[in-house]
Amino acid sequence: MKRIAAIGCMLALFSAGTAAQNPEQVPPERIKQGADIYAQNCSGCHGAHMADPQGAFDLRQFPPDQKSRFVNSVTKGKNGMPPWGDLFKPEDIDALWAYVVAGEKP
Amino acid sequence: MMKRIALATTFFFLATTLAFSQTLDELKNDGKNTDNVLTYGMGYHQHRFSTLKRINKQTVKRLVPVWNVSLNSSYGEQAQPLVYDGVIYVTDAEYTVAIDIDTGKQIWRTPVDWDPATPRVVCCGVSNKGPAIYNGKVFRGTLDAFVVALDMKTGKQIWKQKVAEWKDGYSITGAPLVANGVLITGISGAEFGIRGFLDGWDPDTGKHLWRRYTIPAPGEKGNETWPAGDAYLRGGGSTWVTGSYDPDLDLVYWGVGNAGPWNPGGRAGDNLYTASVLALKPQTGEMVWYYQLVPNEMFDLDASWEWILADINVEGAKRKVMMHFSRGGFLYVLDRTNGKLLSAKPFEKVNWATHVDMATGRPVESDMAQKVRAGEQIELWPGQWGAKNWPHAAFNPDTGLLYANTMHASRLIRFVPVEYKPGQRYAGLENLPAPRPPNEPIAHVDAIDPMTATHKWRAPILDIPHYAAVIATAGGLLFTGKETGEFIALDINTGKTLWQFQTGSGINAQPITFTHKGRQYVVVQSGLGGVNVVRMGEQLKNVPRGGSVWAFALMPE
Repeated sequence: MKRIAAIGCMLALFSAGTAAQNPEQVPPERIKQGADIYAQNCSGCHGAHMADPQGAFDLRQFPPDQKSRFVNSVTKGKNGMPPWGDLFKPEDIDALWAYVVAGEKP
Repeated sequence: MMKRIALATTFFFLATTLAFSQTLDELKNDGKNTDNVLTYGMGYHQHRFSTLKRINKQTVKRLVPVWNVSLNSSYGEQAQPLVYDGVIYVTDAEYTVAIDIDTGKQIWRTPVDWDPATPRVVCCGVSNKGPAIYNGKVFRGTLDAFVVALDMKTGKQIWKQKVAEWKDGYSITGAPLVANGVLITGISGAEFGIRGFLDGWDPDTGKHLWRRYTIPAPGEKGNETWPAGDAYLRGGGSTWVTGSYDPDLDLVYWGVGNAGPWNPGGRAGDNLYTASVLALKPQTGEMVWYYQLVPNEMFDLDASWEWILADINVEGAKRKVMMHFSRGGFLYVLDRTNGKLLSAKPFEKVNWATHVDMATGRPVESDMAQKVRAGEQIELWPGQWGAKNWPHAAFNPDTGLLYANTMHASRLIRFVPVEYKPGQRYAGLENLPAPRPPNEPIAHVDAIDPMTATHKWRAPILDIPHYAAVIATAGGLLFTGKETGEFIALDINTGKTLWQFQTGSGINAQPITFTHKGRQYVVVQSGLGGVNVVRMGEQLKNVPRGGSVWAFALMPE
């Protein structure tokens, strides 16, 4: 059991440390999960499908090699955005990141 | 000697108590003594009208700032200050502040503490719309859904009560109301799956007196307008803007917000009492009558903001009415003794309904509404921002006209599935910008006749809708503000801007006017915030943040 936890941790660390996401390696279901979390919780400010960010950060411009910055901002809050760390599990934030990096397909 | 000291002490105590203890009579007569502003809306009727005329069309060019006090907050200022006995009481999301009118010096400042994650359950900007004052205390709501009483003299907390759990989507941004000796508070959160309510409190002790849910439970009258199951527990019906009060009828009129989720697919029925106005007895919370503006509401069509009480001529007879600019674009006039509909004409472009049926009181849904119910995307007029939003309108009893900041914009909307999760958004609406013809106004300042909804004049706005309340004065002026920081005075007869002053941040708050030692003052909070900042982000991103209070008076000749 401990070994599984350790592997899990390593995987999480590896994934957090990965510079950029290769869309081909991200399961579409994770992107879909991120899109759903986004639609419910984030679209009010960042705009439906990230297409209408209005006054919030334009997530289409988020550098795809700065995952830790994304995770940090979502977890702890940034500028007008409140912290989400106690509501979203790490895998939720991972899914959100997958969605942001994959972007919206026209 | 002892007697003299005792007498002096008693006298001092009485003087102190009297100075800080305004009464129910004073609240009822707010506006008659122009030295005070004791109620939200500058009178229980919420006219936002002052009889003062020293600052007028001729003299307004001499209007200058006399002091400015920083509020040490960057969340945004939306409040209406109150004034009593030479002191101004101001709130925002982070502080309650008392300021001496003579000097502009801060007398006390009491912070409000809340979990930094609370804004997750605030749909439309972290803010507070103001305090209530009564009998030596200042009352306010907090973002994390508490109600607090402070000592007017010192700012020290006297009592604090939890209203609801913010992690379940509840918050408070509105100002409380004291009516017939009861402190009444509303609640926000209809975008987060709440079940709305109003609470009555003993202002002296904080004892909870009553709760009136805006959505009836199974077994209660009105619950049959909800599907079986727990939809009613998440049905919205927030009460986020302060109600008005008629002391003669002893009725409080409080608007109820939208239904939840916005997507109506899972809540067939009229969904009482969402998108309604309730007439309540303040001492018990008993509902005397209700009027639902939009049965099975689905476009965030709040009936929340000001219901303005006045006695006006209707078909040749004086009627006790209440007036409301609905978000959906109709100007409602009701008989406030019984809730009977007297008029509901459009004051802006509307495409979700063809008209309001005067016999049933119900809006008649258009083809557009049917299409969106069927799952199609439509261009909705007015868009989800509304034909008007909370920035309050004024009523001038001398002209019989209403004055309002209105909006003229559409949105592309489509319903999408949504699942209830505690503390998360519960809307189910895809909301996108619609193409705008160039040079078409996005908003107006309007002067409108209540019964016909015709415009006496319109002052078009091409860039950013105003998000500040309007006040009117017998000096022939309207005061309001711009999100880019200009505090402005308009000619009440034409809408022409006669005067403006650039404050340090955006104005999305509520001006007041009053007298102090014979001099007329106009006071407004400046500090960009609220929902418009999100909506008009591109245009507002470089407007500096930072809350402050500005006081203006005439420069001596």
